[in-house]
Amino acid sequence: MATADTWQPAPSMPPPRTETGWIGWARANLFGNWLSGLVTVVTVPLILWAVWRMVSWVIGPADWTLIASRPQQFLIGLYPTEYAWRPLTGWLLVSILFGMAAAMWGGAARRIALGYGIITVLLGVLPYGLFHEGVVMPWWVRAFILGNLLTLALGYGLGSNPKTAKPRTFVLGGVGIYVLLLLILIGIPGMEEVAPRKWGGLMLNLILAVSGIFFAFPIGVLLALGRRSNLPVVKVLCVVFIEVFRGVPLITLLFMSQVLVPLALPANFPVDSVTRAAIVITLFSAAYTAENIRGGLQGLHPGQAEAARALGLPGWQVTMLIQLPQAIRNVIPAIVGQFIALFKDTSLVYIVGMLDILEMGRSIVQGNVQFADNARELFIFVAAVFWVFTYTMSFVSRRVERHLGVGQR
Amino acid sequence: MAAEVAVAADQAPVADDIIVARDVHKWFGDFHALRGVTTTVGRGEVVVVIGPSGSGKSTFIRTINRLEQHQRGDIIVDGVEMTDDVRNIDAIRREVGMVFQSFNLFPHLTVMRNITLAPMKVRKTPMDEAEASALELLERVGIPEQADKYPGELSGGQQQRVAIARALAMQPKIMLFDEPTSALDPEMIKEVLEVMKELAASHQMTIVAITHELGFAREVADRIVMFDEGQIVEDLPPAEFFNNPRHERVRRFLSQIL
Repeated sequence: MATADTWQPAPSMPPPRTETGWIGWARANLFGNWLSGLVTVVTVPLILWAVWRMVSWVIGPADWTLIASRPQQFLIGLYPTEYAWRPLTGWLLVSILFGMAAAMWGGAARRIALGYGIITVLLGVLPYGLFHEGVVMPWWVRAFILGNLLTLALGYGLGSNPKTAKPRTFVLGGVGIYVLLLLILIGIPGMEEVAPRKWGGLMLNLILAVSGIFFAFPIGVLLALGRRSNLPVVKVLCVVFIEVFRGVPLITLLFMSQVLVPLALPANFPVDSVTRAAIVITLFSAAYTAENIRGGLQGLHPGQAEAARALGLPGWQVTMLIQLPQAIRNVIPAIVGQFIALFKDTSLVYIVGMLDILEMGRSIVQGNVQFADNARELFIFVAAVFWVFTYTMSFVSRRVERHLGVGQR
Repeated sequence: MAAEVAVAADQAPVADDIIVARDVHKWFGDFHALRGVTTTVGRGEVVVVIGPSGSGKSTFIRTINRLEQHQRGDIIVDGVEMTDDVRNIDAIRREVGMVFQSFNLFPHLTVMRNITLAPMKVRKTPMDEAEASALELLERVGIPEQADKYPGELSGGQQQRVAIARALAMQPKIMLFDEPTSALDPEMIKEVLEVMKELAASHQMTIVAITHELGFAREVADRIVMFDEGQIVEDLPPAEFFNNPRHERVRRFLSQIL
């Protein structure tokens, strides 16, 4: 019997050793009961064997000449070689943003910029034949690529200077650089025009993905709000739009885009197939984004809007300042998942005859006898490139989530 | 003093009534939630509203700032009739602060931003001014050191005090409290009631509070109004309400919650 004078809290003891660490983990997850133990004993050797076969092929008989000798096509497709300085210049501009982000946000942004810098250096110094098979990569191309280190540093400087290190400057600068990049690629008046039809390679995947995300997000927000609107016309239009674009496979939409997008525009309005594809991918993604955001709005406690209205905030401010920020934060994983899907779906533009990185590689394999046996190497390479980008996106998503989670229950 | 006010409440509305409700009806679907509520609240008066759950008391105070729309009868707040006119509603909401049972702080904003948001966006108060008065309010509710935290980092009692400060930041003429202590742990109820008592004692604003804290009602209320079945069954100063209610229903209700 403990009395008020003698009572002491029981000392805190560590948990039993068999419950923690890798032993505890293996006991719980791999050998929890006899069936799970059997599955472990059978599958682990199988998996190890398959992985070993793959790895020994990759580092042994695999022939990576295809990848090493055609970097130009993988990067920019059939973009004319004599104008290759244009995408290279665009690349220089983009590096500014990576540097700026690294300085402004540190942490994840800095690690991404570091990885980006390392890849850039490797691309600049590795002994492969950039731009012409069997021809040594021209010195000026290497100079351009390594020049990214300078613009990266320039961006870092801008991001360290309190005058320029503002999120607003970063966003406006980003939009400005992106527009400038597209103009350089097409050719501003006075330059030779390079029609988007000739764009290709990884550059095309990235341009479609960035444009898609940039427009799909705001359109998705508007559709989500429209679907919750009290105005019947707005609501019905949004519901119809969302259900149509979610209900039809993207491949079908891409085929249809060749016929339907021109219908929606004035006669003879010059819309090339890339733009059409980009529009369709954007709208498709916007429909999914809208449903994600609507889910986030649905999940909010109604008291949030009530409290905001009770304070006298007008309706649109209740939405913009209180509901949307919370809803979007709650569905970041779903939205990023949607954007990863969008990035991967950019490969589908082969349907309309575009040579993205995958289709470019396939056409090299099919069109060159010496590479006829290298399809495996190609697919592994393309998969790895996609993975690097999608993994970076999910890495950023997790970091943003954790950062915004501050103060959340 | 309190008795005089009670007499006034039984008479026709006078010019200085800041809230006038005449035969207010409200339905949720087929459910007749308010069945002809008629009452007035004088400027600076402190009215405590009690009643069993589902009696319509919460619905009624929510019609005062039009979080709920009434379907029949008139509600006139500070001389403005509550209609669908958005300008009237926005004008009234600026003058009426509300504190909720579940706090409803904005979890994505710091305590400081929670308080300064409405003054800056609605009253266009400059940021430094809004922050200075927010700090004063936090001082008043006893938690100036929490300004830079997020609501999720505070205890329930602290959150409710922030919610009170947030409502006060708009310098409302009327404060509505909708069961502000019902969601709180017992040891936190007191700190919120202290803030409310201080507000009531200052007589700077009109207060309509739903609460079952009868000690609070006895101490600061000018009148206690009891709702049941969508109607007002009793409306008396605290002393009479507790000692000498006119209706048997009040006695039964008091015996249940005491």
